[in-house]
Amino acid sequence: MSSSSKLLAELIDALRCLPGVGGKSAQRMAFHLLERERQGGFRLAAALEAAMRDVGHCSRCRTFSEEPVCPVCASASRDKHVLCVVESPSDLVAIEQATGYRGLYFVLLGRLSPLDGLGPEELGLPMLAQRLGEGEVEEMILATNPTVEGEATAHYLGQLARAAGIRVTRLAHGVPLGGELEFVDRGTLAHAFGSRQVLGS
Amino acid sequence: MRIDQQPTFVMHGRPYRETSLLLECLTRDHGRIGVVARGVRRERAKLQRSQLEPFQPIALDFLLRGELATLRAAEPIGLPMRLVGDALMSGLYLNELVVRLTARHDPQPAVFDAYGSTLRRLADGEPVGWTLRRFERDLLDALGYALALEFEGDSGEPLVSGGSYRYEPELGAVPARPNEPHTVQGRDLLDLAADRCPDAAGLAALRRLMRQVITFHLGGGELRAWTVLGQGGVRR
Repeated sequence: MSSSSKLLAELIDALRCLPGVGGKSAQRMAFHLLERERQGGFRLAAALEAAMRDVGHCSRCRTFSEEPVCPVCASASRDKHVLCVVESPSDLVAIEQATGYRGLYFVLLGRLSPLDGLGPEELGLPMLAQRLGEGEVEEMILATNPTVEGEATAHYLGQLARAAGIRVTRLAHGVPLGGELEFVDRGTLAHAFGSRQVLGS
Repeated sequence: MRIDQQPTFVMHGRPYRETSLLLECLTRDHGRIGVVARGVRRERAKLQRSQLEPFQPIALDFLLRGELATLRAAEPIGLPMRLVGDALMSGLYLNELVVRLTARHDPQPAVFDAYGSTLRRLADGEPVGWTLRRFERDLLDALGYALALEFEGDSGEPLVSGGSYRYEPELGAVPARPNEPHTVQGRDLLDLAADRCPDAAGLAALRRLMRQVITFHLGGGELRAWTVLGQGGVRR
């Protein structure tokens, strides 16, 4: 990509760090900002700078936060006896948007994966164990992904919680709403069949 | 090279680019290979992610060019194996062990078969410790690092059931000095050779022996799964 301006080339190259943005899209974004969105560009630059500098992790739940304790953890209206463990901040957002869950969270920022070099230390489990030991949490909801590694993580966390005498629950797995059995993959169908429930009256 | 219907186990998958996965696969006839599965992380992917999870036998169609293969199709063979609890953790250990000890593009049908039957045993709820020891023995055997379990390493004398030995990775079992710690009984080594499950103390000694031998063949360093499983309180 030959460019007459060094700054422009630099901008295009920098934009490529975004997911799904290659050379062509980066070039289009850069030209768009310069041609038509100077104000927006300044705003983006300021927001990016501030976020990169100030957003860290909540000291209670490890999600992204610029405060030492994030708003969810600091909120007085949240149920402090229920703790939901998720793999990533985006999982937390998904649960917040889809359910009326009013308890607290703990974000692992990963999952147990020996081949990726991710162990209990990297997932902040000593911190979680300490929190469970404080005695405030009565139920731990394991909302790790239904993958092999997510299940292994749930198993590990379950042992941790049981050692602290805490009730452990796991998200159910099953057929997606509006789905057709014919098109559901075998593993999911076998799982859904195995954990079928008594029909409520 | 286009390969169809190759019996395969996925060992590990990591996100690759925007919507793809980079899979580490153990195939029966082509050894361990890296396979790029394009677009499978997309919401409407044709191929479901759940079919590319570890611990289930699949038939893989792929194009092998250079270092990485490209996935064309995958379909499950037989019923999925469900590993839960300690068996699941042990499965992750198996995968790390296989990936760390085998080389890519080195066909090892014996390793593939041993891996498959070990998963079956774990899924059927057989005792985890003994199942892993049998696999470690067969894996080392297939890779040319076979343990010497019936004769002394230095003298070539047959092992004595009641004897006490020290196992040296390069040499084999040698008679232990009086009061030497971490010894293994002759009968435990003979049991492992004959595929008989030893008692709990024997299993513990064999587990220690295997760790030592595996560490040696890894060229130092540890397996990550050891610390994960150790802290999880899993009895192996």
